[in-house]
Amino acid sequence: MAAARAGRWLASVPMAALALATIYPLVFTTNVALKTRREYVLDRFAPAEAPHADNLVTAWESAGMARYFTTSLIVVTCAVVLLLWLGSMAGFAIGSLRFRGSRTLFLGCLAALFVPFQVIMVPLARTMADLGLLDTRPGLVLAYVAQFLPFTIFLMASYYAHIPAEIVDAARIDGNTTFGVYRRIMLPMGTPALISVGILDALFCWNDVLIALLLMPSAGNRTLMVGVTSLRGQYSDNIPVFAAGVLIAAVPVLVIYLFFQRHIAEGVTAGSTKG
Amino acid sequence: MGVDRLAPYVLVAPAVLILVVLRLYPLALGVNFSFTGDGERDGTAVGLDNYATLFDDPLFLGSLRNVALLVLLLPVAVAIPGLLATFIYLRVPGHRVFRGVYFFPAVLSPVIAGAIFNLLLAFDGPANAVLGAVGLGPVDWLGDPDIALFAVVGVHVWATFGMALVVFLAGFSTLDSTLLDAARIDGAALPRLIWHVIVPGLSRTIQFVFVTTMIGLLTSMFGLLYVMTGGGPGGATYLPEYYIWIQQGQLDRPALASAASTVLFLVMVVVGLLQISLLRRSGRVD
Repeated sequence: MAAARAGRWLASVPMAALALATIYPLVFTTNVALKTRREYVLDRFAPAEAPHADNLVTAWESAGMARYFTTSLIVVTCAVVLLLWLGSMAGFAIGSLRFRGSRTLFLGCLAALFVPFQVIMVPLARTMADLGLLDTRPGLVLAYVAQFLPFTIFLMASYYAHIPAEIVDAARIDGNTTFGVYRRIMLPMGTPALISVGILDALFCWNDVLIALLLMPSAGNRTLMVGVTSLRGQYSDNIPVFAAGVLIAAVPVLVIYLFFQRHIAEGVTAGSTKG
Repeated sequence: MGVDRLAPYVLVAPAVLILVVLRLYPLALGVNFSFTGDGERDGTAVGLDNYATLFDDPLFLGSLRNVALLVLLLPVAVAIPGLLATFIYLRVPGHRVFRGVYFFPAVLSPVIAGAIFNLLLAFDGPANAVLGAVGLGPVDWLGDPDIALFAVVGVHVWATFGMALVVFLAGFSTLDSTLLDAARIDGAALPRLIWHVIVPGLSRTIQFVFVTTMIGLLTSMFGLLYVMTGGGPGGATYLPEYYIWIQQGQLDRPALASAASTVLFLVMVVVGLLQISLLRRSGRVD
């Protein structure tokens, strides 16, 4: 028994080292972001002497991060609202209603999960151009919705399939139409799933760079992540400002992580075990 | 009631419309594209010309070689989160903290992870400082063609093993713990426990993580490549997805890019089927 206990501590040591390796890159970046350029050149490891927000202000104002931030915020908010709305409607229909074609739709969503974006990205750009949506915010919103809708429907359908049919029947007997059942019963009951899926969708859209780079090519339309990629060239001689820009782009995600860690993990595992 | 019978169709209609127009139609269009020409030959049928060009292009061949390398690295990328999940499941001291910490990079954008590691892997950055402390020379992480791809893959693993870890932990919660206890009472050491109880018990989870990790390696490294190496040095870190982007976004050759997309998709299907059949044959799938 003593040997087993010692063994468990033995495993703890490399695990703690790995935990440190997980955290340290962010600590290092934060420290660099708080240094002056001079401090960074002299010693990049020493703690920042007097933490000051100059670099953050520079990145936010002169590097254009404020504008990129707004674009990302608007696009991601619209995409997530649409995803949850369309995804819960379709998920409810596929998960709890029996109708001709429901099985096909479910399998279609499952299949779509395995078709990577890279396979359709070239013709999608042309389709978007044909629709007059290339380089527009609505176009990017629609592209995100199309990209993450199969995942959203799949999870919502799996969730709704586990809600007893008696509840739907009872609501029907009370005089609800199918739309009434969706709005008054299923939408409120689906809240936990909607939160998990919504957070994951928000992270996917916020973190994306490939779709945004492809469909929003002009400089004034950059999203935050595309903005980060252009920072490097802009501030190659002032690394602390670069680090500050990276930090600004990471903060919203870190906040979401701190508050919704459980929901994110639940969303990921629901996607892997259900269905 | 008559109107209500149409309700399911009304509920799925907007979703179906978007998926047909922006996913199904482009998918069909893309395969069709790959048999047409670029530039002056835009819109005309050219048969397999694009595919011939692809397999003559050293950059594309290099990207396929890199895919083969990634497939070889796959077991490592699956074993790391698997082993860590095992330790967390066995409640090593501090397992709650470890779980939270390990998961956190998984929410970061590849672009942010790449930018952070651009700082860490700089010639006089922390990574080389650690090497220097143990008496090893500095490494040109992103400038050495033999090392750059491994550096980028390493960052990818750093950024994604938390996701796989959470999936493994979900798998563990379905594991029959009495079997584990019985093996423990019989005095089985950890390696035997892993090999004879945990691996067979988690075969479905392992298979799932294998497939998702592979898809991740083949399709979600773009952000890292774009920020960290730009495909360099000398094309050493090209992957098919990066090649597609360059042909489409930089060189304006959509038909060639479509052909590369089709090849990437075929590679994914083949590797996926191969994995499933290998796992089946080893008798670990019920």
